[in-house]
Amino acid sequence: MSAALANRPPRIAVVLVTGAAIIMLTPMLWVLILSFKDNAALMADTSSALAPPWTLANYRNIIGEGQVFTWLMNSLIVSIAMTAGVLLLASLAGYGFARLEFRGRKLLFVIVLLGLAVPEQAVIIGRHQMFSAASLHNTYAALVLPGLAMPFGVFLMTQYFRAIPREIDEAALLDGASRLRIFWRVLLPLTLPAQATLGIFTFFHAWNDYWWPLISATNRDMMTLTVGIAATQMNFAQTEGLGFLMAQAVFAGLPTLLVYLAFQKYIVRAVAGAAGQ
Amino acid sequence: MRRALAFLPLALLAACGRTEGRTELVIQRFFGACQAEFGTLTDPGKADGECGIITAMINQFETLNPDVRVVENTVAWPGYDQLTAQLAANGPPDLVTMHSSAIPDYEARGLLEPLDADLAADGISPDQFTAAARAGVTVGNRIMGLPIDVWAPLWHVNMNLFGKAGLVADGKPLLPSSTEEFYAQAAQFRERTGKPYFIQVTSKDFAGPMRIFYAWVMQQGAQLFTDARHANFDSPEGRRALEFMTELYQRGYSAKSLDYAGAVSAFLKGEGGILVDGTWMVGQFDAASRDDKSPLYRGYAVRPFPFLFQGRRVELVDGHNWVMPRNDRRTEAQREAARRFLKYFAGNDFQWARTGHFPAYVSIIDSPQWQQLPHRGDIAEITQLGEPLPRYVRRQSPIEFVVGEEVAAAYTGAKPVGRALADMQRRADEILQSF
Repeated sequence: MSAALANRPPRIAVVLVTGAAIIMLTPMLWVLILSFKDNAALMADTSSALAPPWTLANYRNIIGEGQVFTWLMNSLIVSIAMTAGVLLLASLAGYGFARLEFRGRKLLFVIVLLGLAVPEQAVIIGRHQMFSAASLHNTYAALVLPGLAMPFGVFLMTQYFRAIPREIDEAALLDGASRLRIFWRVLLPLTLPAQATLGIFTFFHAWNDYWWPLISATNRDMMTLTVGIAATQMNFAQTEGLGFLMAQAVFAGLPTLLVYLAFQKYIVRAVAGAAGQ
Repeated sequence: MRRALAFLPLALLAACGRTEGRTELVIQRFFGACQAEFGTLTDPGKADGECGIITAMINQFETLNPDVRVVENTVAWPGYDQLTAQLAANGPPDLVTMHSSAIPDYEARGLLEPLDADLAADGISPDQFTAAARAGVTVGNRIMGLPIDVWAPLWHVNMNLFGKAGLVADGKPLLPSSTEEFYAQAAQFRERTGKPYFIQVTSKDFAGPMRIFYAWVMQQGAQLFTDARHANFDSPEGRRALEFMTELYQRGYSAKSLDYAGAVSAFLKGEGGILVDGTWMVGQFDAASRDDKSPLYRGYAVRPFPFLFQGRRVELVDGHNWVMPRNDRRTEAQREAARRFLKYFAGNDFQWARTGHFPAYVSIIDSPQWQQLPHRGDIAEITQLGEPLPRYVRRQSPIEFVVGEEVAAAYTGAKPVGRALADMQRRADEILQSF
């Protein structure tokens, strides 16, 4: 038996994976098809989406909304800023918890982990008041800052730093490297798979966030894409504007799809690496 | 010099809300955005649909008032989360769309400006409003908003199926006047057409079941709430209404397992005789009745909720209004611009009434212009019989959800009627007593 033949996955596995992929893709395909159909036709019968005529009108209406690109830019700024901030803070905190000895380290780590158990709903009123007192609503700061406190990120990075052998630090220390240099030049590059995982999760979390931007970015110019496109929906959109609604879903999901396609190889490797840890 | 400096803060204050010499008026509304289609239209007569008409009206207002720059903040329906957040952050808009049923809650917290004086200054008297519209904006003896419409749940009728079922006389639908007649007609309808008589929302969306329950309790002369802290759902009238709803569902006279979109679609596809839905659908169904491919072709009628119970001739209504949130930082120039905006809407309510909602003004109801709109004459009496939910009851929105959920639980058989009513009462009281 040749090596290629030996490496081939069992046929049953291929069938199962293909079946699962079809099941997962079908709703997305349905959303895409509905987005090319006239709203009035869909109101009467959604199965009409399977037959022509199709139209680009729903997409024209999205792009015709003058502010959609402002919202897109806001979402990009917020998502990129939050991702960069979380990566920096979680890496520093993770390194600190994994490598540095200081009083109250364990207690502090437990307190950070407790943050995982506190749902956003429990703190949102207090958070809103805090940003209100600081007159920060309708600013990028208000959209980005709350997302920087990510206990999951700290936990993930701490575990990752702990898994790196201490001998590497010790060798660098013997060579005269400072703590900051060890962190920056030696250990941080080793955590790239975890950084990739955390970065992707954070980016998607920031991109898809709806509730906080809904009540903080009430000024039309500061809305993110999720809030902005929801605001353009008519009442009873699921009935009278189903095609438009689906086109909005495609439009809002497109950037994340592009991010995924661009970094697909890296993401898969990162997730597989994280699972293997 | 010193005097000039003393006046500087005042000058700066006066400049607030002014951009390029224009007064900035921030308005916040739902009804969606449709800039691509109607963004430049300044003639509301050429627009259609809620979104199109309100966009064109605001454009026209700006054209007529070049010294006012309208900042239009469109929010996802109903927009109360954003409004509450804006009020908490001391930055509310100047005018906001608000349902009549939501006004008492905001008014009780002192978050709305009474508009009696502003409206009177512009010659707008509450006497000009229809009874239902006036009731919707009145709290105590103060006017808390400018009504732009009244809406109500209606019976939309597929006349083609009704004809097949032998339930048409002189071109008009024969609708029941008692529960017994309802059962008899529903049985006849099903026998002759093979389809359910009634299409209603029975899953996911609870506003529909709630409105039907409220309407039939009110028709028996019962109060839905005894006072601001107590609901009155677990009553003989409540039981009678819910038993009737459950019975018609379980006898198979109602379409089953439909959400809102599914119910509308079923009606448009001719899968049942009557759809319970609001005023806002009249235009859509009327358009379908002109389409020769539609099962509603030349066969659509609409009527108020029929009176099946002996009691009061009353219809449940709600409405849309412009209200002014309290804002100490609002300048006199902005308030004056807001007054002009309200006056414009009061003077152009006919355009808004083309959406299907009832006009808020008696003069428009009486006008041939409005009466000539399709089907309006058949439902106009609602503006006289309409009654909003009691003004002394706050938190209507979560209560409506509870009521709808329990009603749906009863008629789908998940709960016995008695238990559903008791749970409905207990949960509503908890909400009413929680603040």
